[in-house]
Amino acid sequence: MQKNALHILLADDDEDDRLFFKDAFEEIKIQTNVNFVHDGMQLMEHLLNPDNKLPDILFLDLNMPKKTGKECLIEIKKTDHLKDIIIAIYSTSSSEEDIEDTFIQGANIYIKKPSDFNTLKKIINEVVTVNWHYHTSGLNRDNFLLRLK
Amino acid sequence: MKWIPNFNSSNSLRVIFVIAVFILLFLSSIAYKHNQDLNESSKVVMHTYEINIQLERLMSAIKDAETGQRGYIITRNARFLTPYIYSRDKVNTSFITLKKLTADNPEQQENLQKLFKLITQRFVSFENCLKYSDPKTYDKRKLDNHMFGGRILMENIRFKVDEMNDIEKAYLKKRLKIYDAEISLSPLFSISLFLVALCFILLAYRQISRDFERLKVYNKKLLISGGLMSESENIGKFSTWQWDLDSDKIDYSDNQFRLLGLEPNSFTPNKATLLKYVHPDDKESVAQAIDGIVEKKQLPFVYYKIIRPDFEIRYFKTTGKLLTDQQGSKILLGINFDITDEHLLNIELQERNKELEKSNKELASFNHVASHDLQEPLRKIQTFISRVSEADKSVMSESAKNYIGKIETSAKRMRVLIDDLLLFSRTNTTKKEFIKVNLNELLDNAESELAEIIEEKKAVIKTNRLPKLSVIPYQIEQLFINLIGNSLKYSQPDVEPEITITSEKVLASDYSGILDQSVKKYHKIIFTDNGMGFDPQFKETIFVLFQRLHSKTDYPGTGIGLAICKKIVENHKGHITADSIVSKGSVFTVFLPD
Amino acid sequence: MKLFIKFDINTICSLYLKQNLEQNNINFTTLGFGEIEIEDNLDAEALENLKNKLVPCGFEVVENQKSVLVQKIKDAIIELVFMDDSNNYKSSVFLAEKLNHSYGYLSNVFSEVTYSSIENFIILQKIERAKQLIIINEMSLTEIAFLLNYSSVAHLSTQFKNTTGITPSAFQRIIKKRRENLK
Repeated sequence: MQKNALHILLADDDEDDRLFFKDAFEEIKIQTNVNFVHDGMQLMEHLLNPDNKLPDILFLDLNMPKKTGKECLIEIKKTDHLKDIIIAIYSTSSSEEDIEDTFIQGANIYIKKPSDFNTLKKIINEVVTVNWHYHTSGLNRDNFLLRLK
Repeated sequence: MKWIPNFNSSNSLRVIFVIAVFILLFLSSIAYKHNQDLNESSKVVMHTYEINIQLERLMSAIKDAETGQRGYIITRNARFLTPYIYSRDKVNTSFITLKKLTADNPEQQENLQKLFKLITQRFVSFENCLKYSDPKTYDKRKLDNHMFGGRILMENIRFKVDEMNDIEKAYLKKRLKIYDAEISLSPLFSISLFLVALCFILLAYRQISRDFERLKVYNKKLLISGGLMSESENIGKFSTWQWDLDSDKIDYSDNQFRLLGLEPNSFTPNKATLLKYVHPDDKESVAQAIDGIVEKKQLPFVYYKIIRPDFEIRYFKTTGKLLTDQQGSKILLGINFDITDEHLLNIELQERNKELEKSNKELASFNHVASHDLQEPLRKIQTFISRVSEADKSVMSESAKNYIGKIETSAKRMRVLIDDLLLFSRTNTTKKEFIKVNLNELLDNAESELAEIIEEKKAVIKTNRLPKLSVIPYQIEQLFINLIGNSLKYSQPDVEPEITITSEKVLASDYSGILDQSVKKYHKIIFTDNGMGFDPQFKETIFVLFQRLHSKTDYPGTGIGLAICKKIVENHKGHITADSIVSKGSVFTVFLPD
Repeated sequence: MKLFIKFDINTICSLYLKQNLEQNNINFTTLGFGEIEIEDNLDAEALENLKNKLVPCGFEVVENQKSVLVQKIKDAIIELVFMDDSNNYKSSVFLAEKLNHSYGYLSNVFSEVTYSSIENFIILQKIERAKQLIIINEMSLTEIAFLLNYSSVAHLSTQFKNTTGITPSAFQRIIKKRRENLK
């Protein structure tokens, strides 16, 4: 597996969600380095800061203050050096239109926030695994679309 | 204008009359001629008898002379000579008359001359007889000769006279025959002509009286329809005006005046008055429309306001059409509607609509956001509960573990409720796009959604081909999920669930009680299962929101699922019914319009 | 105007590798895709240098034998899935023959290294190819299902959905709308 730790960035304004996320990542076998931002503006600042290492996978909540997840998504996809980041939308919405819309805007993964911790662990495990496959098997990132419930 | 009946009898009438007049003239000329002929014939008769008389008078005059002479010879009384003397004059007079009478007949003239000669000879004979009978100059032989000769002359004269009479008679006969012929023809001819004329006149009379009747009928109808039109204008609050484009005269119906707030015929309408009462805002557009109508032959509906003399504003709707009648004259027919009431009603309706839409939107967003926002804390509760690991539980008291379990159950229940509510609100509020889809695909999707439970319960789903219909795809998919899910949920324990889905086309008329008849054909999709069934007395109530037939501890359920089904079916203008036999199974029938 | 560019990863990678190695004056021979034999013996520093040059570009220098085998398995699978008459081959037979090991052994090594199974990887690759075919938009789903050795469109749809979470038609829709957005 990856020699280097996987860089994960979660943008979510909810403290509890961040906690769950952190705990889940600590419990999976893969080595990861998880960072958090609290809102959209913070996210863009973090990403655009040249000192910061870009994440391998960005988990993005849609409902954030100051700048919504969708706005960030569009902005990221428009920025040359950011548009190749694998983006996983991490949201409570289960509306088909919303989901399809985020894919259309360029998201790679859509995850509906689970209400069970073990499910969360399973999900992020799968995300990381699939991402690794894409990474190592020369699969086309543009076609990387995954939806997890 | 075609509705004016064509009385084409006018031409034929003229012809008939002319013919009749001609016939009458002809007849009168014939009558006149007849008259003349009669006159002539009587004149001819008179003429002949005149001649006859004169000739007889002549004869008698000569006879008188003879008698006189005879008497004188016998008695030598000079008194007997008187008639003899007078007779000569008489003869002359008669002769002159006869000459006049026979002036037209050369033959008779000749005869007359001969007669005259004879008579002259007779008179000479008379003279001789007298001479020779005179005792002084008595000669018996000469006397006898002359007497004899005289008698022969008399006979000749008689012959001549008879001849002349005969000739005259023949002539008369001939003339009379001609006249007779002429006269006999006339009455027949006249009567037949008269009859013909009478026929024509009768025909004409019949035609005229028929036309007259028709005219009367049409007139009556016109009066009635005129009256009805006026009444209907009054009742329907519309009016008409006519604009004769050739003579540039405008005629307002009575109601047109009334709609403008004036008395009928209070002014003479003309082009300017059409615009006079129009609201200043609309004057231009109305003027344009009126100008346009002459070119385009038709006026689309023009909406404008008018100001009545009492300053009340009314809303009008006008249209017009150019009509050309048979004679080629152009008449512009205009119709006005006073739509003030409808207009105001419309405005009111529009406002109410807006309010409703607004309130709907608010409700919808409230619904959606509420369900959505409710999910957040619930999810947290559930996640945190799931964080309570086995290790943690092992150090908790029994009651604490119990409570955690109960919290978990309640949270789960709440989740299901919120999910269902969210679904229900989405069924109502999201835009309804109808797309033609193959229902089999939606069924497959539904089955894959329920794949886990299907496998777990080892359920068998049999379907025959579902049709392609114009539907809201995600809603029908949800419908299938709910119905099949229910069948799976309420399956009989230890019995493998068997769900059969069939589809057939039916006529709306066969289900007139429950289906909207404005659509002719429906697709009837039947979901049959072998589950526990339900008491059929509840077959209506199960579709009611939040109605449940089991307690929530026996079977998890929110009571929203079937209400969602009903809403979905209603969105598609269809119908859903349910029936069941307890412990045998249930049947759900869905009708979707074609 | 719009152009679709198909690229051959192999060529690109080989070219880049060649450039890089030649730059550093390293002699090498190419043994096959992903395999080069370096003639010289590199010391740790040189190796580290090489790795540093190659890793940022997505290259991974694998020294472990098992990892090498796994890479070979992966390559073979990719070859199998992306060839056009793959229907004639059973994957287990193909792999065993091509790599000269029993399928069971290959399966174990793969699971050990990747924590995932060959079957999963095959499915992943098949779905990947399906995605490519869908994007090119010249074949119908039925044709794609047939080409990829699925028994029916439904089967492809199910596996597609299981792998990616969305249906092939939804995928098609999303790609189409993404393109429209870019205009």
